[in-house]
Amino acid sequence: MKKNLKLTDISKDGDTQLTEINIDELIPLPPPYDNIDELPGFKRLTEDQKERLVCNLDGVVSYAALPKPKNKEEEKKYVEQFVSGLKKLLNRENNWTFLQPLLLSLDYCVECQTCNDSCPIYLGSGKNDLYRPTYRSEVFRSLVNEYLKPFGRLRAKFNKKDIELNWAAISRLYELSYRCNLCRRCGQACPMGVDNALITRELRKLFSQELGWAPKELHEKGTVLQLKVGSPTGLKPHVAKDNFEFLDDDFTEATGIEVSTPWDREGADVLLIHSAGDIISFPESPIAFSILCNAAGISWTLSSEIPGYDGVNYGVFYDDFQLAKVAIKHAQIAKKLKVKKIVMGECGHQHKAFMSVADRMLIGDLNIPRESVVTFLENIVFSGKIKFDPSKNDFPVTLHDPCNIVRILGIVEPQRRILRYLCPQFREMTPHGVDNYCCGGGGGLSVMSDVNFTDWKVHVAGRMKFKQVLEAFADQPGPEVKKYLCAPCLNCKLQFRDLFDYYRAREKSGIICGGLAELIVNAMVDIKQPFIKWEEFP
Amino acid sequence: MAQMELAGNMYEVDENGFMQETERWNEDVAKAYAALEGVNELTEDHWTAINYLRNYYLENGICPMIRRLVKVSGFNLSRLYELFPNGPAQSACKWAGVPKPTGCV
Repeated sequence: MKKNLKLTDISKDGDTQLTEINIDELIPLPPPYDNIDELPGFKRLTEDQKERLVCNLDGVVSYAALPKPKNKEEEKKYVEQFVSGLKKLLNRENNWTFLQPLLLSLDYCVECQTCNDSCPIYLGSGKNDLYRPTYRSEVFRSLVNEYLKPFGRLRAKFNKKDIELNWAAISRLYELSYRCNLCRRCGQACPMGVDNALITRELRKLFSQELGWAPKELHEKGTVLQLKVGSPTGLKPHVAKDNFEFLDDDFTEATGIEVSTPWDREGADVLLIHSAGDIISFPESPIAFSILCNAAGISWTLSSEIPGYDGVNYGVFYDDFQLAKVAIKHAQIAKKLKVKKIVMGECGHQHKAFMSVADRMLIGDLNIPRESVVTFLENIVFSGKIKFDPSKNDFPVTLHDPCNIVRILGIVEPQRRILRYLCPQFREMTPHGVDNYCCGGGGGLSVMSDVNFTDWKVHVAGRMKFKQVLEAFADQPGPEVKKYLCAPCLNCKLQFRDLFDYYRAREKSGIICGGLAELIVNAMVDIKQPFIKWEEFP
Repeated sequence: MAQMELAGNMYEVDENGFMQETERWNEDVAKAYAALEGVNELTEDHWTAINYLRNYYLENGICPMIRRLVKVSGFNLSRLYELFPNGPAQSACKWAGVPKPTGCV
């Protein structure tokens, strides 16, 4: 690994990588995951891929379709588009939403580097210079100073700090903007309040809105597909309803209590918006909500209108327009159903997109009250309407704090009050709450899997978290003790699934990952069979 | 776009080897994918799962949830992993010639 990477290196030797991932240079994992030879290894690019794809950053490619310029003119065109995008980011008319925090983050960094040691990617990588949160921001800041300010280039050249804006710099910056989880742990650590995650997202936004470059999982098969058919999973309204009918029957049989899910009920108190991925990949989660809402006597409904049954909003990761389109659709659906409030499912970025960011777009009668799933569940658990037997949850449980729910929105205690009540062996991770480490899937990364990106996520981005989860269960490490990692966020669960699958954590350590609602249902006196089944997890 | 040779023909695939032209799929393609993962003979159980996945995809535009596959095929999860070394999504869907599942799945 190359240490002391210079800012100017970003535009040099455009055909070669700036760094390479070697597993033995990453922060070590505890046993039995410390033997590198027993792991499948890091998936390297093939010679054919190196020939076809842009791979000049770290040997990892998250977007195979990134175009290569065919000649000098095309390179020049990309550079001009980049500068034009940069100008727009710094202009109130084009960027009224984020201009102020962007300017503050550009102006106030004192280069103390305090934030670096708070970044799980930087720490997990064994402190690879490329991944320090300040590297990306410092390059961005230098480009703004150099290309947008009077005599900027001249001054930079005089100081021998000029970054040439060429294809190498632009393509590397693109990839580097997807080596950040947008978790904002660095922003929390900064004594000046500089938000490197915001700078990262502004970069992604520039690439998406100005050059049309965005990961296909987030854009083409993400927001575009969601607005067209209803969900990035491709789940259409009638297929979503059909799946729920199947699940209602299947779980009625499995649990012994009547499970039913209401659709499109006008005038219900609550519109619950799950993530459609939960319906497909973690169906116990939405079914647990159906069981709980019915048992607590809540007037509620799901929506089958596009995209009202999928609360994800990938726009929050990369593009303001897509973000606004999805958020407004969700609010319009709630308005049409005349519900009193919207409850967001177990999905962190949905919380961020809909509870905070969209607050500035949802005006007038679209500003329908929006509640987090966590307080909603807390009210159900402590309503006295459902009988619980916490001894049914007598296995080790730890809690993952989704960054967007906990650090960003400050919802820390309700989920803990539930777990302290219902899980006798609940234990915290260290650190936790607003100081948590991201799962490594944040910022949209958990749904991205092009080329060898999954390998980067399981080795680098998720490394600190995986280590932390194992340490939380260090008193009973063996697979004979069944353990539950509670992660009330679909994107986090997907990242944990990839991590646990790669390291074979269920087999070696007995750990599975699921949501919060499942643990609540598992403790219900009326549920005769265990609701959580370890054997049903891969 | 990447290309891949399967059973003597070239196909467009994504970077993870999933077919992009699902209509060009045939049983030899499935056999060729299986061989690449060390499975040299496809049994009746393999075909039950592959045909169900493929037909469900063609009808609904999405792969079925695993719970459904388990219910319809009668194979539990560990049996599915025996049949398909990398699991239902990474192996079975690929062998069935449907695109890689996307979104939060």
